Amino acid sequence: MAKKGDMLYAWTNDAGLLKKAECGGAVTELLKYALESKTVDAVLAVTRGVDLYDAIPVLVTDSKELDKCAGSLHCGTILMSKLVMEYAPKMSGKKIGMVVKGCDMMGLLEMAKRNLVNLDNIVMIGVNCGGSVSPVAARKMIKEKFGVDPNTVTKEEIDKGQFIIEYEGGHKGISMDELEEAGYGRRSNCRRCKVKVPRQADLACGNWGVIGPKAGNATFVEVCSEKGAKLLDGAVKAKKLATEPANPKGIEVRGKVESAMFKLGDKWRKHDFEALAPVLWDTIAKETGRCMKCLACIEHCPVCVTRADQYKQPEMMVRHGFIPADPMFHLRRFAHISDSCINCGQCEECCPCEIPLALFSHAIRTEADRVFEPKLGKSAYSN
Amino acid sequence: MASSTSTLKYVPTTCPYCGVGCGLNLVVNDGKLVGVEPYKRSPINEGKLCPKGMTCWEHVHSPDRLTRPKIKKNGKFVDATWDEAIDLIAKKFSEISKKNGPKALGFQTSCRTVNEDCYALQKLARVGFQTNNVDNCARICHGPSVAGLSLSFGSGAATNPFEDVLNSDLIVMWGSNAVEAHPLAGRRVMQAKKKGIPIVVVDPRYSTTARLADKWIRFNPSTHIALANSMMYWIIKEGLQNTAFINERTKGFDDLKKTVEKYADCEEIHGVPLETVKSFARQYARAKNAVIIYCLGITELTTGTDNVRSMGNLALLTGNVGRPGVGVNPLRGQNNVQGACDMGAYPNVYSGYQACSVADNRAKMEKAWGMKEGSLPDWYGSTLTEQVNDAGSVVKAMYFLGLNPVVSYPDSNHVKKQLEKLDFCVFQDIFWTESCEYADVVLPGTCFAEKDGTFTSGERRVNRVRKAVDGPGESKYDWEIIGMVAKKMGLKGFEWKTAKDVWDDMRACTPNMFGVTYEKMEKPESIHWPCPTVEHPGTPILHIGKFSAADGKGTMFGLEYRQPAEVADAEYPYTLMTGRVIFHYHTRTQTDRAAQLHYEVPENYVQINTIDAKKLGIKENEKIKVTSRRGESLALARISEDVAPKVLYMAMHFAGGANNLTNTALDPLSKMPELKHCAVRVEKIAGAK
Repeated sequence: MAKKGDMLYAWTNDAGLLKKAECGGAVTELLKYALESKTVDAVLAVTRGVDLYDAIPVLVTDSKELDKCAGSLHCGTILMSKLVMEYAPKMSGKKIGMVVKGCDMMGLLEMAKRNLVNLDNIVMIGVNCGGSVSPVAARKMIKEKFGVDPNTVTKEEIDKGQFIIEYEGGHKGISMDELEEAGYGRRSNCRRCKVKVPRQADLACGNWGVIGPKAGNATFVEVCSEKGAKLLDGAVKAKKLATEPANPKGIEVRGKVESAMFKLGDKWRKHDFEALAPVLWDTIAKETGRCMKCLACIEHCPVCVTRADQYKQPEMMVRHGFIPADPMFHLRRFAHISDSCINCGQCEECCPCEIPLALFSHAIRTEADRVFEPKLGKSAYSN
Repeated sequence: MASSTSTLKYVPTTCPYCGVGCGLNLVVNDGKLVGVEPYKRSPINEGKLCPKGMTCWEHVHSPDRLTRPKIKKNGKFVDATWDEAIDLIAKKFSEISKKNGPKALGFQTSCRTVNEDCYALQKLARVGFQTNNVDNCARICHGPSVAGLSLSFGSGAATNPFEDVLNSDLIVMWGSNAVEAHPLAGRRVMQAKKKGIPIVVVDPRYSTTARLADKWIRFNPSTHIALANSMMYWIIKEGLQNTAFINERTKGFDDLKKTVEKYADCEEIHGVPLETVKSFARQYARAKNAVIIYCLGITELTTGTDNVRSMGNLALLTGNVGRPGVGVNPLRGQNNVQGACDMGAYPNVYSGYQACSVADNRAKMEKAWGMKEGSLPDWYGSTLTEQVNDAGSVVKAMYFLGLNPVVSYPDSNHVKKQLEKLDFCVFQDIFWTESCEYADVVLPGTCFAEKDGTFTSGERRVNRVRKAVDGPGESKYDWEIIGMVAKKMGLKGFEWKTAKDVWDDMRACTPNMFGVTYEKMEKPESIHWPCPTVEHPGTPILHIGKFSAADGKGTMFGLEYRQPAEVADAEYPYTLMTGRVIFHYHTRTQTDRAAQLHYEVPENYVQINTIDAKKLGIKENEKIKVTSRRGESLALARISEDVAPKVLYMAMHFAGGANNLTNTALDPLSKMPELKHCAVRVEKIAGAK
């Protein structure tokens, strides 16, 4: 019987899925089993849209449909957390399985603190994430830095510090450092992120630390909760999934990868925050001074849920009908999320005015976390 | 699309608002729209949206949607069956056409609706009634661009894509408040600013876009030609023109040179200090790659076409056409204002700008449309506001598709009076608008979320519109309704089953778009026309190496400054300019039904200078009366230095608002009414707070 803290290699017994999926297909198999065993009523996952640069969420109730969700899309920069609340209202009270990156998981934890979701009803299959690249930026990078027509790319991955593509006629990898120094690569929030293994999910899965004969053919699974242990046991018992204890050397390798990622995260924090520190107020004033009030930074933020009566209240410091937005429009948001910004980057990525919003709120949270304790509703993680 | 589950479906489509053509995902839950999510895969906007785009789904399931055809009987509108309504339309239009001839009918399509609808309506007008009295509302936004850029460059469309400003060394925004009117094109300018590319905004008003500028040049309203001529005088005087380009690729330099000699210093006209004019002229001429982005500040004047040609003059004089980072780009106002023109919903051209006056073109279209030889008319049809002006005299029946002329055309009181004179009038729309009161038949169409089709953006990119949900009640696809009228009249060639059928019908007779297939539009990069063959990759940048004109040359014109038709005087001492606000779209039928947008700007307002407000004793947010020779309008005062003394600014979105005041005087070349300039007076309302 699996228990919290266990570390395993896992792979599917389904030969068909094994071919389609990556690294043994354990994640997809676990979700399929969760549906088939009625552990969950639906799975919220991501599938490929028009091509591999286009990730779209799907709510799947038929386990056969999950095969199309197998594999990773590093150019999909969706945050899944808020979608559950907004687009699966009929699922309320029902159980949902989700694949979560670090940011998706953090978003759900923040929403749970605000009673916006009930985590008892959510099974989180976590996946390691070293960061993602916005789709248009990825295509530009592939064209300009790789010299490859992005339409000919058949597969992309981030492995061993490289962004690697397979395309019609070859494959090519370039180190992330080199790409990012040149202004390409991962979203800036991802560069600063230090939640690479989502350990507050029920299971944390990934390919880091899979070595030896199983390399490339199995998924590293860390059991993070009783719920996760139960799901894993059930899948093994039903002969859907095979497991073996993780190679201790592999565990060490996984730890090294993670700490290398932390170091990189720290490097980028230093880079971004130090540049901001001496010009903080001016920069915030100047950058937010372009705001056209699209509300994307609120709509897509897992920590921002607006009051139903917001438009019925008397106006105070943010006048209606004016752009650029009055300064309090942003200040009140920074204040609201000051101890909860998960640095998911949606506010910044979706901002039509190119305001580095995630940089600001991540800096505020990081500094506040360094100094203040205890907090109300302290999170189970720190980022 | 891969998302097959019924409970949560993402449908990638194109925003229904401005001409930028942003991609977005409509989210469908059990057959109903529940939201908009970013379509980050779109190269146009990368998932980013403006306040209108973010809320564009909110009006779709409004209980106010039209759901059944209505016929006016004894002065009252009653529900009717489709058969009754279509029968009546076919009968009335046929009768009137038979009795009064083809010039007695007027067909007008919106630039809001898909290309397929626009093509269908002009085909009905031409095939069913042999009339060229077909137009679209580009006439009152970028008609002068079509006319002016055609004369200057040989093609009436934007020369370069939006993103291309990032390749520029100088961005000139002239009469364009892109941040509010085309927010995601505004975003490209913000990106450029972050890159360090200098931005000059030329605008009488300190607009939201002017706030981005490195240099903001305020000039007197509607004095573009004088300012441009003065710049060109100094460019030539200082020898900064691009002589090689002028010699190789253009004609008309001598004409231009002679004309601008009179404009060395004309500060008394345009109000810009001479030194500013000189330094701006030098900056533009010396920039390695300079782009001009302009908008309705240039076009909506009786000098509209000449204003556009002045922008063309500047670019040709300095060789800023035909490569990345340069060009002259009109920001097309509506989502499909480019497309509506491209589709031939225009009184002198068929789709792809094939002139009706050319016998070969008529013969070709007659063949394509299965018509009798010699049946298509060669005459220049009546334009948008001309049709309204002629209502009751020449024009007896009109068909409006997706238009609200009572609010959006100049001089609303005049429009209402004219519409009353019609023998028969059809409005086809998604909501009951102020104009529907003047209809004999009102037909329920479908909105962008309820149909397949295409919008062509301001960068000539043909973007797919995809059906996400069914239309309400008995509403129908708009091209389908037009097909029903055609069928009732016994016409052939309207038996389309899908939007793609309509598109392919158009492609077959349109050489510059033949290669733009639905298959090639599947990915969000889609295709920029011209695209003559299926193998052709499309043309993001025009005029490389050779202009689109028949002789391959760009043409410079000597153009004299002319005053607007109506200028401020003792009786009406203020100049009224009009424009848009970011939170609303046109007559607000859609945007006012979105919670945030209504909250932001629920009521009409007018910008007035601090000095004037003080003189008149007007306080911020006080309701005041603005009066022109044609009518009056009430609006809340917004007081600032954003407008100059004696100048007012009012947005065009409100019924009983700006267009109660505007002037119907026309630009002789493009028939553009002077929406941006008229004389008014301002009064306090007794007892107003």
